Amino acid sequence: MSEDDFQPSGDRFPLTRRSVIERAHSIDAEERAGALEALCVAYWKPVYKYVRWRWNRPAHDAQDLTQGFFAGLLERGLLDKFDSKKSRLRTYLRVCVDSFVMNEDKAERRQKRGGAVLHVALDFAGAEEELGATVMDAARIPSPESLEQFFEKEWVRSLFALAVEDLRAFCASRERERTFHLFEAYDLEGNETISYQQMAREYGLSVVEVTNALAWARREFRRIALERLRVLSSSEEEFQREARAAFGWVAK
Amino acid sequence: MNFLSDQALKRLRDGAEMPDLAGTRYRMLERIARGGMGVVYTAEDENLGRRVALKVLDVPGTDGDLRNRLIREARVLAALEHPGIVPVHDVGTLGDGRVFYTMKFVEGNRLDKFIESVASVPDRLRIFLRICDAVAFAHARGVLHRDLKPANIMVGPFGEVLVMDWGLAKILRGEVSSTMLAADPEATVFDKPKQANIASAATEASVVTGHGTVMGTPGYMSPEQARGDVEHLDTRSDIYSLGALLRFLLTGQPEGASTPGGPRLDKSLAAICAKATEAAPAERYPDVQEMALDVSRYLDGLAVGAHRESLFEKAGRFYRRYRFFILLIAAYLAMRVLILLFMHR
Amino acid sequence: MNKVLLGLLLGAVLGAVDGGTAWFTPAVRAQLAGIIFGSTIKGLIAGVAAGIFARKVNSVPLGILFGLAVGFVLAFIVAYLQHGYYFEIILPGSIVGLIVGYATQRYGAAPTPVASR
Repeated sequence: MSEDDFQPSGDRFPLTRRSVIERAHSIDAEERAGALEALCVAYWKPVYKYVRWRWNRPAHDAQDLTQGFFAGLLERGLLDKFDSKKSRLRTYLRVCVDSFVMNEDKAERRQKRGGAVLHVALDFAGAEEELGATVMDAARIPSPESLEQFFEKEWVRSLFALAVEDLRAFCASRERERTFHLFEAYDLEGNETISYQQMAREYGLSVVEVTNALAWARREFRRIALERLRVLSSSEEEFQREARAAFGWVAK
Repeated sequence: MNFLSDQALKRLRDGAEMPDLAGTRYRMLERIARGGMGVVYTAEDENLGRRVALKVLDVPGTDGDLRNRLIREARVLAALEHPGIVPVHDVGTLGDGRVFYTMKFVEGNRLDKFIESVASVPDRLRIFLRICDAVAFAHARGVLHRDLKPANIMVGPFGEVLVMDWGLAKILRGEVSSTMLAADPEATVFDKPKQANIASAATEASVVTGHGTVMGTPGYMSPEQARGDVEHLDTRSDIYSLGALLRFLLTGQPEGASTPGGPRLDKSLAAICAKATEAAPAERYPDVQEMALDVSRYLDGLAVGAHRESLFEKAGRFYRRYRFFILLIAAYLAMRVLILLFMHR
Repeated sequence: MNKVLLGLLLGAVLGAVDGGTAWFTPAVRAQLAGIIFGSTIKGLIAGVAAGIFARKVNSVPLGILFGLAVGFVLAFIVAYLQHGYYFEIILPGSIVGLIVGYATQRYGAAPTPVASR
């Protein structure tokens, strides 16, 4: 039996999914724009919240800075300077945000920025609401570790939220909306007391059906989240590291 | 897009981590440990009605490298049937695509925990000799462990000693299964610089070098392993780790002198540790049996090859070895003198 | 060295030493050679017996008891034949038996078990 005999159907990624870093280096302007968009979709919320929290900026300033940061990301060649051997993309982007905000402070300018046009709808009002719901200790002096932790947590939240939306669409395409509702009710909104029996009664299913549906949804969620993560990672090593960080798979 | 609460994040993480055992003969019981590339659970083998340990890959690799490593690890274990090496039962792919293997569930303690309840040096040395047995067997089958450390040794409730976690093992030559070798012409579980693993900040965790070659565990890995000189590693690299392990068993730490207030290390034992952990492989014991022989000789009160004794040390060892006998003879002579004195009064 | 040979040598040496101490008793000094010879034979017999016992029974306390008993019996026979010196002969003789009994249990190679077919 060779190792190929163990190849599963769904745990390998399609090779056509190139990472954002590869795409950002492309000579094709459309590819580069696509890379920027993918980065923006995954990172705008963590960046916005980070600017609000770390830099204590009012909402409108933070919105301006977030848009400015992503709009200028390609123009300033920041992604070209990224070296995956030296740091993670996530950490690199956070440091770039810090540097960007500091430079903005120095110049105190408010003139119109150049750079790429963003085609991503940024729901700042939603992000503000989330900030209100996020448990943060603003009085604590932010240490580098706590900043990193905050950014990581928000990045995971953003990544998982995108994966949940992908899963919703995937379920719809497979006519498995009920599965998604079960997943939503149990894993996303459920409290500690909710049980499979309760869910089964509510949805008129057997417990086995609920168990199987949730197992399927979790498996697909995992696959989708990892796929998204793979695209956002610049190397295999970074992907594995980020996956362990995102899912809390860290050796203790 | 809905906001995900912290609780929802936790549930998503937990749900994503849990292996999908549907369609297998295993039923999940609980998570027991997390290693460098996977998680170990206890599961019930429903066909045989027994508890097993199930190791499953956590992150899938895009190039199948992690998967191959886990399969190779299982095959290495399968090739090493020895009472001191945890036996593997099964290997396969779960419904969620993750590779897993099951092995004997070892109830007991990790060596570093177990040793706290073993005060006597001879008892600790006897445990060490059993570790040597397992490692010597693996070497004889052409397999290097490369990550020997207390956390990778389990001591069972009946005193059985098992060497665990062969995830960093390297296959030296072809006494092991030919399929394992066929699957990997380089016959190394992972030694290619591109096949990187995750570096952990914890000193006890296995780490990788900057260029990605897996090394082992600081304090227990040989200098050549620390340099990433994977191509030239041989059994003497494991001997270095065994030396560090022996020192840990005797002093509580793998390197340097004993801890303040801790047991004073006997010169012969210190010499055995020092010889095993020489920086140059050529200066170390040539094989595990030689090292084990020296430890056995120490246990038997004999001179060890690693240490040249002074006359005083020889006399001291002779006295320790034959103490009771010498005392009997002395008592006999004293009794004789007393009888003579009594008779001449 | 196997246990019987060890018992034989140790018993002979200790027996000879035991007999040699008769030199300190002027009354029997003239028969010293005979005493040393007899005592050596006595020690030798006790040693061989203890060695054979040690091959059969693997127990230090039982070995000591056996050696003590054999030493005592042999010394008693010698003292009885001498019609005197009971204490001076029996006590050291018993202790020699005890020492040999201990030594044959603790030291010396046990016979290698032969695999049954």
